[in-house]
Amino acid sequence: MIEVKNLSKRYGQNVALNNISFSVDEGTVVGFLGPNGAGKSTTMNIITGYLSASSGVVTVGGYNTLDNPNEVKRLIGYMPEIPPLYPDMTVREYLNFMYELKKVTLPREKHIREICTLVRINDVYNRLIANLSKGYKQRVGIAQALLGNPPVLILDEPTVGLDPKQIIEIRNLIKGLGKKHTIILSSHILPEIQAVCERIIVINKGNLVADGTPDSLAHNLSTEHKVIVRMAGDEKEIKAGLKTLKNVVSVESFGEKEPGVYELSVEAREGTDLRRDLFHFAAKKDWPILAMRNTDLSLEDVFLRLTSASYLRDNAALQGAMKGGESA
Amino acid sequence: MKAILKRELKAYFYSPIGYVCVGVLVLLYGYYFYQVMMLRSSSYIANVYGTMFMWSMMFIPIVTMRSFSEENKNRTDQALLTAPVGVTSIVLGKFLAAFLVFAFATLESLLPVLVIGLFSSPSWPLIFGNLFGALLYGAAMASIGVFLSSLTQSQVVAAVSTFGVSILLLVIDQISSLVTSPVVQKLIQWISFNSRYSAFTKGTFDISSLVFFLSVIAVFVFLTARKLESRRWS
Repeated sequence: MIEVKNLSKRYGQNVALNNISFSVDEGTVVGFLGPNGAGKSTTMNIITGYLSASSGVVTVGGYNTLDNPNEVKRLIGYMPEIPPLYPDMTVREYLNFMYELKKVTLPREKHIREICTLVRINDVYNRLIANLSKGYKQRVGIAQALLGNPPVLILDEPTVGLDPKQIIEIRNLIKGLGKKHTIILSSHILPEIQAVCERIIVINKGNLVADGTPDSLAHNLSTEHKVIVRMAGDEKEIKAGLKTLKNVVSVESFGEKEPGVYELSVEAREGTDLRRDLFHFAAKKDWPILAMRNTDLSLEDVFLRLTSASYLRDNAALQGAMKGGESA
Repeated sequence: MKAILKRELKAYFYSPIGYVCVGVLVLLYGYYFYQVMMLRSSSYIANVYGTMFMWSMMFIPIVTMRSFSEENKNRTDQALLTAPVGVTSIVLGKFLAAFLVFAFATLESLLPVLVIGLFSSPSWPLIFGNLFGALLYGAAMASIGVFLSSLTQSQVVAAVSTFGVSILLLVIDQISSLVTSPVVQKLIQWISFNSRYSAFTKGTFDISSLVFFLSVIAVFVFLTARKLESRRWS
């Protein structure tokens, strides 16, 4: 549905986007993740045709944004970071204006009412936009993007400024919309992306640093060959015993967590799975295993790791730092 | 274009801008007309109308100042530019709305003359020539005002610069007598709005002046559209 190829955007010397490529299939919800100023909004503005790229090609639904801007704009419902609202209009007037501006052909009254019900702005329908709270303004902005049922929705930080209840509402709304629409949404809030998106694209300083499902991102960066295990027995004996296991590189004790129960981190050679060996070994020695988990990273760790400057500068150095950081 | 034109016209009359412009002009016209009738009893009605039309010109910066600068400030330009409409039709919608408000204010000046028409026969060609000239002049100024407002986020900057340009264009032909070079003289006369406009005030229909004003409008609508496009390139 959306195809972005070698997209770059420069403002003079300043590089806002550096050779970004990705494509989004129909009916997926993609999250753009990145710290402030990473280039999320710029990418979105380019896809919607508000800005143009310094180089690179964007096609939406088979149309090139430069050759057929109006066809592309017809396919996209866009909610910018700051909702484009006219404070001097009421919600009703505004939505009617946007309806005409977007040349929507669906039955007007019914269509607008449906959207208002969907985003729950019926109770402010006749109020002046200037007098609405931030949350309602945000929702009017989303309503505006939904006009005409565009197949693609691009939402730039849709939940900013909402209270927790509203955030959940909007998330559910987006999830629901994701069944029928292709959605790109941006956020710097991880749980939000995790809750809503099937796929995450992480952008940092204009570079695409990761692209995958929330699980695969966490998985790729985690060290599977490392497990944390809780065992009952004598600390020194356990430690020494585990070291004799095949493939084990290092064993570290975190101390006594319950009476007579110790937590240890066991690291094996890369590409090997310790868990079965560990079980048989402990059974033989009669050291009950009370807990075992591998060290999958939370998405938050992934994000921090991906967007930290050292990752870009020196991937290898970071891998080392990661190992050091985890045992701490 | 229609959607934008409609919204703009409504916006002028949601805010006090439209009412104040139209209302104050009616007051001024009425006062001025009364004064002329009572004090001078002038029969040269075209002159009186010329002055009244000039006054309505002073309102153009106020009418055009918000057209794009407010969109830039509210970031609503994002809605306009990502909607499936061309930039030229956006600009035309804005321009036409500003022009219609101005035209409405200008047409009010016909009220006193219609009253006169009931009791005597003023020189209609002169009056309509004046009116037509003023509408063209105003349309050209409105296109310049809309352009200047697209350059800034500040309504005040837009209004003051439009005001400056409008006064400059009004008086620029007076300096031509000081200039010795015939080329410069010709150039000044060529860009002078006033000399173009005065053809109409004499009750003549001057095609070249008509083309001149229409060209000015076309040029500034074009420039505004390019300005809107340019933000995609900067």
